[in-house]
Amino acid sequence: MKTRLFFAASILALAAFAAPAQETYPSRSITMIVPFPPGGVADLTGRPIAAAMEKVLKQPIAPVNRSGAGGKVGYAAAANSKPDGYTILIALSSVSIFPEVDAIFNLKPAYTLDQLVPIALVSADPTILVVHPSLPAKTAKDFIALAKKQPNEIAFSSSGLYGTLHIAMEMVVQSAGVKLRHVPFAGGGPAITALLGGHVMALSSGPAAAVGHLRSGKLRALASWGDKRLAAMPDLPTWKELGYKNVEFYIWAGLLAPKGTPDEAIKALRNAARTAVGDAEFKRVMTKLETPVNYLDAPEFQKFWDRDAERLVRTVKRVGKVVTAK
Amino acid sequence: MVETFDNLMLGFSIALQPQILVYAFAGCIIGTLVGMMPGLGPLAGISILLPATFGLNPIIAIVLLAGVYYGAMYGGSTTSILMRIPGEAASVMTCVDGYEMTKNGRAGPALAIAAIGSFIAGTFGVIGLMLLAPTLAGWALRFGPPEYTALLMMGLFILAYMSGGSMLKTLAMAGFGLALGMIGIDAMSGYTRFSMGIVELGDGVGIVPVAVGLFGISEILITAGQAAGEKVQKPKLRDLIPSREEFRLSAGPIGRGSLLGFLIGIIPGSAHIISSFVSYGIERRLARDPERFGKGAIEGVAGPESANNAAASGAFVPMMALGVPTSPVTAVMIAAIMVHGISPGPLLMSQQPELFWGFVASMYVGNVVLLILNLPMVGLFVNLLRIPYSYLYPGILCFCILGTYSVANSLIDVWIMLIMGGVGYVLRKFRYDLAPVALGLVLAPMLELSLRQSLAMSAGDYGIFLERPIATTMLVLGLVLFLLAIRPLIFKGKDWRSTVGLEEQQN
Amino acid sequence: MTAQTPQTPDKRGLKSDQFSGLLLVVLALYIGWANREYPIGSLQEPGPGYMPLLLAIFLGSMGLLIAFWGGHSAPLRAVRWPEAMRAVVILIACGVAAFALERIGYRLTVIALMIFFLGVMERRRPLPVALVAVGFGFISFYVVADLLHVPLPRSPWGL
Repeated sequence: MKTRLFFAASILALAAFAAPAQETYPSRSITMIVPFPPGGVADLTGRPIAAAMEKVLKQPIAPVNRSGAGGKVGYAAAANSKPDGYTILIALSSVSIFPEVDAIFNLKPAYTLDQLVPIALVSADPTILVVHPSLPAKTAKDFIALAKKQPNEIAFSSSGLYGTLHIAMEMVVQSAGVKLRHVPFAGGGPAITALLGGHVMALSSGPAAAVGHLRSGKLRALASWGDKRLAAMPDLPTWKELGYKNVEFYIWAGLLAPKGTPDEAIKALRNAARTAVGDAEFKRVMTKLETPVNYLDAPEFQKFWDRDAERLVRTVKRVGKVVTAK
Repeated sequence: MVETFDNLMLGFSIALQPQILVYAFAGCIIGTLVGMMPGLGPLAGISILLPATFGLNPIIAIVLLAGVYYGAMYGGSTTSILMRIPGEAASVMTCVDGYEMTKNGRAGPALAIAAIGSFIAGTFGVIGLMLLAPTLAGWALRFGPPEYTALLMMGLFILAYMSGGSMLKTLAMAGFGLALGMIGIDAMSGYTRFSMGIVELGDGVGIVPVAVGLFGISEILITAGQAAGEKVQKPKLRDLIPSREEFRLSAGPIGRGSLLGFLIGIIPGSAHIISSFVSYGIERRLARDPERFGKGAIEGVAGPESANNAAASGAFVPMMALGVPTSPVTAVMIAAIMVHGISPGPLLMSQQPELFWGFVASMYVGNVVLLILNLPMVGLFVNLLRIPYSYLYPGILCFCILGTYSVANSLIDVWIMLIMGGVGYVLRKFRYDLAPVALGLVLAPMLELSLRQSLAMSAGDYGIFLERPIATTMLVLGLVLFLLAIRPLIFKGKDWRSTVGLEEQQN
Repeated sequence: MTAQTPQTPDKRGLKSDQFSGLLLVVLALYIGWANREYPIGSLQEPGPGYMPLLLAIFLGSMGLLIAFWGGHSAPLRAVRWPEAMRAVVILIACGVAAFALERIGYRLTVIALMIFFLGVMERRRPLPVALVAVGFGFISFYVVADLLHVPLPRSPWGL
């Protein structure tokens, strides 16, 4: 028995001696938390940028998928991780929504926004309104008129209650003063499948996921949530042009770090991100994904994020709790 | 028809290029290895490999991933049969009779039939995919929330056929499983239910940790205590090959499983998980002597294994023909081709014929590769049983922890697995069947969501289930099945308790 | 499976099915109690508490029926627990390992766990134990983390 314990102890002791000495940042591999499963927008943006940043930092960046609860698990994990510069996060716009939803349900927030600091914005893509071809509305104006004529008759799908695709649609609902029927699904994939099958009539979707179906005529695009028109769809009007000033929504992906990360590390990461977005390989992958790169350095990203979060939080607050009869 | 044949030739000319063949082989081998890890299933396998495919050309990428997917489906049955550890949700049912066969010294035939059944079902599925993809895809899209609800209700009614013991206990366990499935964020109202403040539980309890715990860990807990340990098995070559009788018994289940699995697999969503449960229920219902089920019936391996492999090919129909990611697995596959600038969509088949047909052909190739790979390996795998149990079970435990952890890098899953191991141990002591818990857990969130989505679509009108032909048909069918199952309870009067099986206490 | 004598004439005491049935009733009551904070909604618009309530009622009635018809099952006392001690020890060891996994890394945890199982519980000889434990820890880590690129936790000392 004693020999065995001694044996175990000696292994532990050996391990303890292997501790590395402190060096300049980064001296070992960096973990990038991806709060969504592989193949999602965060994953597809995170991996190429990680690969490009590795070249600058000369240390591996390992993307780790910590998916769950619509991204909340990964966001909370990153916000509460050790701020030593060796954990970073690739976040989507939904990062701003969860603390507000927790507040609506009187839950202790899993994290708060001030626990995270920006490094760089990588991409920002407005969503577009796509409808089933059987819907009589040919333009966004028709759509609103139809919704006004038949309140609570047009059903739309979303990626989930309080999910990004729901909040985007909700902005239109609130701004135009119409009523639509909300059918939430578990994720963007099922939401678009339901639209293709005609089980719902409308969806606010990411352009990349919809573009194939638009080309084949299985879906029709009516409007975009952007500030200006999409380069790939110049004929598509924005909600702003149509007079809905408050309707602006982006699916963005940005790099964040937990608050308290040393300045030296933030500087190195910002620098790496700036070089990485110019990387040819990274550009090639992003073009193929039909996701335009939209780089902003930390200070501008912070401003962009603040404005975006303010819009989202306002919308979520107005949605509030979905009323069910007790 | 001629066109299909030409296209298929084009596909084979691509799939049989040595370079692509090598990747198909590599994918199958990696997939088999990943699938054998407890907890790591096809989804984990292809997610792991996804980043590695970014540097490859799109055809190679998708061939590699398809190989991994198929391999993992094959590999999942191995640990289920040998160690009662389901590698993924679809092989839960294989655990039940497969492991009993191992205990009876028939591990070899069980593995061989699983491989042959998977091969036949896989090939059948690919042929279906090739010939029917465009036709069936439109049909698949008609599956909205109401149809889904009806399908899941049918799955629920199948429960009545699932276990050999007491029907009351079966229903109670199904209720327990369904209740477990209620944990997590309610997608319709945003409420986080029964999560005890644990953020990770927002997504609910995963089927993999629960299945590994209930089946695998509980088995270790029960066996490890037996003083002498399990006696080491020394399988002879003769015992590796299924007997004529076993082949005869398996033929029907493989055929039915293939057809059923393919049809369920086409439906968008995660319904393919229930294909193996449904197949098991049907085989038990059709068997002349249903008592053998749960005690090592080969039909209980052949049917579900074929069904889950056919469902795996069926799932590619909407992905390829419509370009919609209908399940987590196909979502990753679509991501893999999107990275190469191919936008998924209905035009994929006409615009990228070499991708589609190369993929189809490589699935044929993959099936053959897996059969060649797996049949000789049966002997090797069976030899794992020669390892003394005292060395084997610590290793299994470590693999369970490793596999469950790495699915989502989440310790919570490991805890769920351990707790479920304890729960499963106690329940088995009280002679409860555990398979209904797994089915209930799978069904509950899907059923609740689709029911409430249907009601949201119709603004609270239940008529929506009666005005849609597919949904109505399935509901009626399910109801008939259910009534047939409980008929003995109603008509036999006094002695129904013996049918319900509460008094059955044989060893 | 275990020594459970069928149909013992023992008429006194709780039967095993009565006991397990009542346990299910208790679980159902707990679900019903925990469910009180979620709105039930209506049949037309079921709320988040609707299905859980239905299930609690279903589970509870099944438990009651099992307990009710369980009078002829084996007595609770006849359910033997010969392996319970070892089962609990195994579970606790795995629990400690789960706790340690993200703190001291995968390899050290697994090596310690294997040493505990093989050396302490199974009382194998030290040399094979050490070889198997260290070999298993490193080889499985190499295959999973290095070859398959699944990120596994490492210890603060890099191992």
